[in-house]
Amino acid sequence: MTARLFAVGRAIAFVILALALCGVIFEFAGYSAPEMFQSIADGAFLNPGAWQGSLRWALPLFITATGVIISFRSGYFNVGAQGQFYIGAIGTTFVVDFMNGYPAALVIPLCFIAGIAGGAIWALWPGLLRVRSGADEVITTLMGNFIAGLILIYVTGGILKDPSGTGQVMASRPVAPAYRISSETGLSPTIVGAAIVVGVVMWILVNRSAFGVLAGLAGRNPIMIVWQGARMSRLGLAGFMLGGGLAGLAGAMEVLGPNGRLVSGFLPTLGFTAILIALVAGLSISGAAIVSLFFGGLASASLYLPVLAGLPAAAIDIINAAIALFITARAAPGLGWLAARRRAVGGA
Amino acid sequence: MEEFVIATLRYGTPLVYVTLAGVLAQRAGVWNLGLEGLMIIGCCAAVLGLVQTGSLLFGMALAVALCVIASALLWFVIEKLRANPIIAGLGMTGLGLGGTDLAVQAIYGSQATVNAPYGLPRLGTEFGDFGVLSVLVAAMPFVVFAFWALLRRTRFGLQLAASGEHPFAARSVGVSPARMRLIALCVGGVLCALGGAELALGSLTIFAYGMTAGRGFMAFSAVIFGAGHPIASVAASLFFAIVGALGIRAQLVFGDRVPNDLLLALPYIATVIGIWISARLRGGAKAASAFGELRDY
Repeated sequence: MTARLFAVGRAIAFVILALALCGVIFEFAGYSAPEMFQSIADGAFLNPGAWQGSLRWALPLFITATGVIISFRSGYFNVGAQGQFYIGAIGTTFVVDFMNGYPAALVIPLCFIAGIAGGAIWALWPGLLRVRSGADEVITTLMGNFIAGLILIYVTGGILKDPSGTGQVMASRPVAPAYRISSETGLSPTIVGAAIVVGVVMWILVNRSAFGVLAGLAGRNPIMIVWQGARMSRLGLAGFMLGGGLAGLAGAMEVLGPNGRLVSGFLPTLGFTAILIALVAGLSISGAAIVSLFFGGLASASLYLPVLAGLPAAAIDIINAAIALFITARAAPGLGWLAARRRAVGGA
Repeated sequence: MEEFVIATLRYGTPLVYVTLAGVLAQRAGVWNLGLEGLMIIGCCAAVLGLVQTGSLLFGMALAVALCVIASALLWFVIEKLRANPIIAGLGMTGLGLGGTDLAVQAIYGSQATVNAPYGLPRLGTEFGDFGVLSVLVAAMPFVVFAFWALLRRTRFGLQLAASGEHPFAARSVGVSPARMRLIALCVGGVLCALGGAELALGSLTIFAYGMTAGRGFMAFSAVIFGAGHPIASVAASLFFAIVGALGIRAQLVFGDRVPNDLLLALPYIATVIGIWISARLRGGAKAASAFGELRDY
């Protein structure tokens, strides 16, 4: 328990350090840092109704983050959640576009399946390259993000293009109201329920199943796992595809839910933020549920800032990036010096 | 043919400078995924410095200074705070993208493209068709040779490689791996500034948000493809540049018959294939990744 409390305290300390760096950058760019942080807090949590916006962003982030947690736990740096999210959303849009007219009870589950399959496929090829050939998954998944972004531009400008669109924004035809699972607010029983189901299932999978235990061990001690007779490649591939499938599920929910259509380049920072949530939560599912609310608030504030406070939304990107810079830190320089000194004294 | 060579050099020169920065870091044992962020800081600082003061020299100095400061920050986080280099590098990339966006909005009030009045000095008409290329393109082969000599033929290069491959051995002869990494990252920062300046001011003379578009990651892949050897890595980055130039050429030749967006994906696909080939050739990474952690012993 104390170990966990220590981990939480350390995470909070490094987040505060990151925010301090952001404050310096804001001041350097000519903005007032206190005003900036005040506006962000207003937009995220303090204004009336801000919590709804934060929760709306927290849900897709949480679902994607659980997928990231699974692949990180099994020892693979799958940083391709963004691309997997896009391909899942594209798969969903294909289904909803070509099955227009069929009953919603048939189409919506198929959409979810298409989303999960799309995300899983986009995780499958880096996973295969990794376990079969040892091709570094950080680069292949990063490149997958860029390729998926271009595929998204291609389909929204071509096959799935909305003919009545203005040409300003490349987007697909709007999803028919019968197939929408939420309004613009993004909060409906279906979406909240799906997020809860994903959270509970993933928590059980990680903490109470043989797969979760093996995957966790595989991430920490691969040699032992191989000697115990488990198949590293299968575990890793399963982790990859679960991660991709969950990102794809988030994509399906965005298309059927708050977005209501496929838009070129939508939610460009979701994958990166989901990785951050996984790391800040220390790869724990229950932790991710809480941390998602914080980052959901930041995502919500990035819409609030330019419209109502007249401040650039890039501030949120900088905060996220600064947290990423520090969150994996394991030592404070002063402490290391202290420990070395104590050793020297003790030895004398 | 000459057009194609020019297109390749234009695409490849920024990539080569940034690849050399990646080689330095890799040999010192740091997986530098912050290259993308450092590169865009170089782009932005060079253009904004030039536009605000009208002096190209100031723009270049600002780019170098900011890139070195950012590199030193990355070194501090990785070396002193023991953060994971991959995640910290991605954070530095995000900081570069967000920070340049914020800087442009702070000065101009919108996320618009910034046009510079003029770019880097060109080679001039005595070089014929190649005269449109900037001096940094012409300097590139010499810089590559200089870094090859530095890394492969000097005591410093050997100490750097030892710091990455066997820090214990480096320490036993009185070399501080931490200091070697700081030097490698800061010199890499200068190279990233040059690469970014070439990208923004070499042929385009603009700065646009996200204009590096994954070139930093491509340069990092070239380092992996080239196994950290300066010449091999530069060759890999030139290979990616050839693929990129082929994509541009194909757009001109085929026009609307082939989707442009998919041609733009060619360099990324080439990068994936390059990583795959290098993994096949060299046996690839071990069972689970070491997550690029620094080694002390």
